[in-house]
Amino acid sequence: MAEQTPIIEFKSVSLAYGDTEILKGIDLSLEQGKFYTLLGPSGSGKTTILNLISGQLAATSGDILFENKRINDVPVEKRTVNTVFQDYALFPNMNVFENVAFGPSIKKMSKTDIERQVHDMLKLVKLDQYADRDISELSGGQRQRVAIARALANDPKVLLLDEPLSALDYKLRKDMQYELREIQQRLGITFVFVTHDQEEALAMSDWIFVMNDGVIQQNGTPEDIYDEPINHFVADFIGESNIVDGIMKTDYVVHFVGKDFENVDAGMRPNERVEVVLRPEDLDLTTIENGKLIVTIDDQSFRGDYYEITAIDDDGNEWQVQATNSAQVGERVGLTFDPEDIHIMRFNESEDDFDARLESYEDDDEE
Amino acid sequence: MKKAFKWSNLYLWFVFILLYLPIFFLIIYSFNAGDVMQGWDGFSLKHYVELFADTRIIEIVVNTFLIALLSSLLASILGTAGALYIYDQRNRLIKNIFLSLNNILLVSPDVIIGASFLILFTVVGFSLGFASVLLSHIAFSIPIVVLMVLPRLQEMNQSLVAAAKDLGANNWQMLSRVILPVISPGILAGFFMAFTYSLDDFAVTFFVTGNGFSTLSVEIYSRARQGVSLEINALSAMMFIVSLVLVLLYYVISTRSSKNKKRGTRLVTPATEGL
Repeated sequence: MAEQTPIIEFKSVSLAYGDTEILKGIDLSLEQGKFYTLLGPSGSGKTTILNLISGQLAATSGDILFENKRINDVPVEKRTVNTVFQDYALFPNMNVFENVAFGPSIKKMSKTDIERQVHDMLKLVKLDQYADRDISELSGGQRQRVAIARALANDPKVLLLDEPLSALDYKLRKDMQYELREIQQRLGITFVFVTHDQEEALAMSDWIFVMNDGVIQQNGTPEDIYDEPINHFVADFIGESNIVDGIMKTDYVVHFVGKDFENVDAGMRPNERVEVVLRPEDLDLTTIENGKLIVTIDDQSFRGDYYEITAIDDDGNEWQVQATNSAQVGERVGLTFDPEDIHIMRFNESEDDFDARLESYEDDDEE
Repeated sequence: MKKAFKWSNLYLWFVFILLYLPIFFLIIYSFNAGDVMQGWDGFSLKHYVELFADTRIIEIVVNTFLIALLSSLLASILGTAGALYIYDQRNRLIKNIFLSLNNILLVSPDVIIGASFLILFTVVGFSLGFASVLLSHIAFSIPIVVLMVLPRLQEMNQSLVAAAKDLGANNWQMLSRVILPVISPGILAGFFMAFTYSLDDFAVTFFVTGNGFSTLSVEIYSRARQGVSLEINALSAMMFIVSLVLVLLYYVISTRSSKNKKRGTRLVTPATEGL
């Protein structure tokens, strides 16, 4: 990643209500023009971060910087960020035009400028035919678009989106994901998107922050986070995972379910206890002779493009498999996977240590 | 198809007749050519002629409406401000204290409110008349307005306030462009309620009026003690019509604003204009 002055920076920001800590020393840095996602279960603190950026909440400690200036004490209405609210929060006493014109008219723009701005924004969200409609006449998806247009009409440097797609149906959500991404790229401003939907986060983001318990668990590109989750929580939250306990015997050899397997991880202590992650889509059904694991099929369901199979090995571990070919329930089959499909997670490894370790042995490989 | 006979309908009609019969009895006798409510002596408008010739009564009618209009207007403003304060109060104890004080005032008997106002005005040496009646009417109307406005505020989506701030509105712009328009049906209802309460208040006014100043209910009461003249019937008939018009007006305003909302035309000034 090229170094560039961050537009927003958090320096050990904490927030607590009495003894309840909502955020615990958050450090983060957001660059201009990127699509960021804060991903986590409810109560993880992701919306709190959004409210700290917008100014709806004040940090208990730590510094929040906007273009290198501390903004902890700047009131909401003076910040150059705008928010798309989860419930849209459209003003019911105004029509579509008036809603979008709210921000510009507060800024005392001239009437013609306001009209042009509103028209541009409505066009951007493909609602230019709806300017005179009342909010109560719009569908959920249309309201969503008005909310986006209204927030963008203030020309924010950062747009905050608080689970904006959660109320839409599946198909509409997919369309909006694509459209939001397109709007972000066209305008080139920073988007900070909050969601609990990992699929949404993976599809839209340049960079994801995975949150849990008021702490950033891991941050990185969608690929990094999916392929190399740092701990049990991230592996479990992002996509489906098979997680079993194992022992890292030496570099590139891991022992689990009673066998040694060749893998591609290194840089740990000999015989260190670790967790082993195998993604369901990396497991393939094969014959018992070719199988690295022998399992009994326990359950199978058809998912359109694959079969979701639950299998149990002789030690009683459950394995989720996404297979293209079907199997019989009760049948004994082999499971196979490649060394690079095995991902190793150390207990309590920090993000910095994790990145350093990855770099150290990836450099070795190239030599 | 024969409609099924329903006991509930019969009961409904019975109640309505019971409620409205005395009023219609009064109105019908206002057209009596005789001077008493016993025996019909033929149709005549003479009591109405008498009524319009009675300058004291006309003056009192004007006073009554002036008091009602002013007190309900001021009470709407003060009551809305009060409701906003209670709504915005984060301290639960203070919030509950204010709410309880409001509700106690609402349920306490008019006689007590009237008597206490009389004591207050005499103690501070405030002369009784127009001002004392106006002040006491404002006082008993405020809790009514608060009661009508507060639920609207509580129903209002909290994030509207957050959104207005987020878009750069200061407190005043947030209040005038978002909160007040959203709660305006509650304010309107409060205004009409306060107006009717003021119009037909007897007990409070009876205590705090003086120096020849009088409102309709007090005047009718004092005249009725000397035997009801049919002029009073004529006046009551007129008042009934006025009340009917008020009810219709409220109905029209409230249905038109909800219809307007549906059609998308504007009751409030567009955000682009003004300010």
